[in-house]
Amino acid sequence: MSDIVRLEELWKIYRLATTTVPALRSVSLTIRQGEYITIMGKSGSGKSTMLNILGCLDRPTHGKYFIGGQDVSALTDNELSDVRNNKIGFVFQSFNLVQQLTILENIEVPLFYQGMPRSSRRERSRHMAELVGLGDRASHRPRELSGGQQQRVAIARALANDPLIILADEPTGNLDSSTTQDILDLFDELHAGGKTIIIVTHEKDVAAHTERIIVLADGLVKSDARNESAGTRL
Amino acid sequence: MKAIHKVDDIVRLGMHSLWVHAMRSALTALGIIIAVCSVIVMMAINEGTGKEAQRALRALGSDNIIIDSVKPPNTGDASSSSHTALNYGLTNIDVARMRGCIPGIIRCSVTHRTQQYAHLGTVNLPVSLIATEPVFEQIARVKLTTGRFISHSDVLRRKPHCVITQELARKLFIFHDPLNKTIRIGNEPFVVVGVLREMPLALGGQGDSAGNVVIVPYEVDIRRFGEYTITQSTGSRSFERVEVSQFILQMADEQAVLDGADIARALLIREHEQQDYRVTVPRELIEQKKRQQRLWNIMFLSIASISLVVGGIGIMNIMLASVTERTREIGIRRALGAKRRDIVVQFLVEAVTLTTAGGILGIGIGVLLPQLLEHINSEIKTEVVPALLLLPLSMAVGVGLIAGLYPAFRAARLDPITALRHE
Ligand SMILES: Nc1ncnc2c1ncn2[C@@H]1O[C@H](COP(=O)(O)OP(=O)(O)OP(=O)(O)O)[C@@H](O)[C@H]1O
Ligand SMILES: [Mg+2]
Repeated sequence: MSDIVRLEELWKIYRLATTTVPALRSVSLTIRQGEYITIMGKSGSGKSTMLNILGCLDRPTHGKYFIGGQDVSALTDNELSDVRNNKIGFVFQSFNLVQQLTILENIEVPLFYQGMPRSSRRERSRHMAELVGLGDRASHRPRELSGGQQQRVAIARALANDPLIILADEPTGNLDSSTTQDILDLFDELHAGGKTIIIVTHEKDVAAHTERIIVLADGLVKSDARNESAGTRL
Repeated sequence: MKAIHKVDDIVRLGMHSLWVHAMRSALTALGIIIAVCSVIVMMAINEGTGKEAQRALRALGSDNIIIDSVKPPNTGDASSSSHTALNYGLTNIDVARMRGCIPGIIRCSVTHRTQQYAHLGTVNLPVSLIATEPVFEQIARVKLTTGRFISHSDVLRRKPHCVITQELARKLFIFHDPLNKTIRIGNEPFVVVGVLREMPLALGGQGDSAGNVVIVPYEVDIRRFGEYTITQSTGSRSFERVEVSQFILQMADEQAVLDGADIARALLIREHEQQDYRVTVPRELIEQKKRQQRLWNIMFLSIASISLVVGGIGIMNIMLASVTERTREIGIRRALGAKRRDIVVQFLVEAVTLTTAGGILGIGIGVLLPQLLEHINSEIKTEVVPALLLLPLSMAVGVGLIAGLYPAFRAARLDPITALRHE
């Protein structure tokens, strides 16, 4: 399988008024099509920073970042928006659904910015809602759903534009253990379907689902290993 | 193609979020509604009264130049003590000069006006005796109820024929047919040959005995009454001599009217030491009226723009609040692929939708209100000019654009990561 993500000596340095904080220090790694990865590490170790850069929400201070062969470390804001729109699917800890919109409309947001006509958008978002088991809640507002259901909507939204990678920053951080299990099952299914998934987490249970675990410490990759137990769980 | 979908969708999106805060949106748009509506109503009244005034001026004859003799203001009482006659106004020489110098005259008529008494049996009424020429009928657009106007043969044969107003006919003859009856003006007998439907506007509002008018051939009048007007005031008499009371020129076309008026003024100013004449050019007055109307419209629009600016500040305020409130949404949209431009457009469209809706509503009310006003008070004349509706509307749209610009750019400048973390 081909590399879809490659980081080369990636640095992210936050410059504050009095000090500079190196959140990532020369991180290099490659991720292949279809990999199922967790990023772990202590609080402040740079996990979110790395995920934001991987998701093109942020730019590295130094180093190169290739996604699907395209160097995105020097793209303009507009170009980064396009990359996010077409190649990235985000899942957040706090779901980040637009409260004023219905479930279907939320799933449609990335398609909207792709310029997909309304009717095809509607069709696709309905399909995605059914895929995550929420076809009957299509016209509800996020508030009317449980946390686990909201996170499934967020996953449906992340999948809507058929991205290269799905990035999830502590997707189960706000969920209880049984809903966590539901969400992980969903990720497992997606992985089985060939999706590339990167999950940031603190929880060992979550990491246990994935095939590769990257551990960050102080902005450095402390370890990057295959998770042999993952296969048995599937 | 892609862009078209987006525009359509973004407008929907804007409407959607306005609808979510329907009450707030309505209150915000109220300022715009009132501004647009009030300027339309004011312009409608301006237009209505203006049109009315123009109609009146047109009735004077828009191709006429009317020159009246007027008593100069500084010669009021001085003459009443002396017995010398007060000479003022247009002279036959003035008339001859103007006739000679002004090109493009179709017709012109000289009028001599004096105050006399009309008698019939025991009835004795003060009247304005107007001596004029047969062409006056065409120039002043005289309308008759019965009979005819004074004719050329009356003039040639020095026939003592006269035309009287309907009002005078009613007073003198009550129910009888006045035609071919003889009345006395002073001591002179005159045969009534016609009755005017109404006072010609060119003569309007000038005589002391407004509705009592007798029109006779010019030559007959001069021969019988002379050129003096004797004004009787308490204790003394004053003699006034006015050769020509009014000289009306009917011109060939608009340019002839304007040029002719200039020439007439130039001639008169050279010959007259004091302002004892008045040149009235209905066409100039109509133009002046129109200019005045335009000026008022500009003023109304400026007032409206002030209220629109105030409304715009309200809108900007709401939009800024909306941006803060929806920071998280902006972050989400950016993370999912919205460009800065998309965010700008989203908030701009929202602001413009708000003011446009306000503008359209304002137009709706502004079109209905004048009709209501006319209904309540029939003296109010209004006219809604469709072309003038677009101006306040485009101003409202412009206000939306300007008021939305800063909040929209602020929204677009937000860093997606910070915006996503916003509580
Ligand atoms: N916008 C910022 N400005 C300055 N410093 C920042 C900023 N964002 C992150 N940092 C710093 O960068 C370092 C890494 O932060 P990051 O959010 O990536 O940690 P994390 O591994 O996601 O932690 P957590 O598990 O608590 O979410 C931290 O020291 C943090 O203080
Ligand atoms: Mg984090």
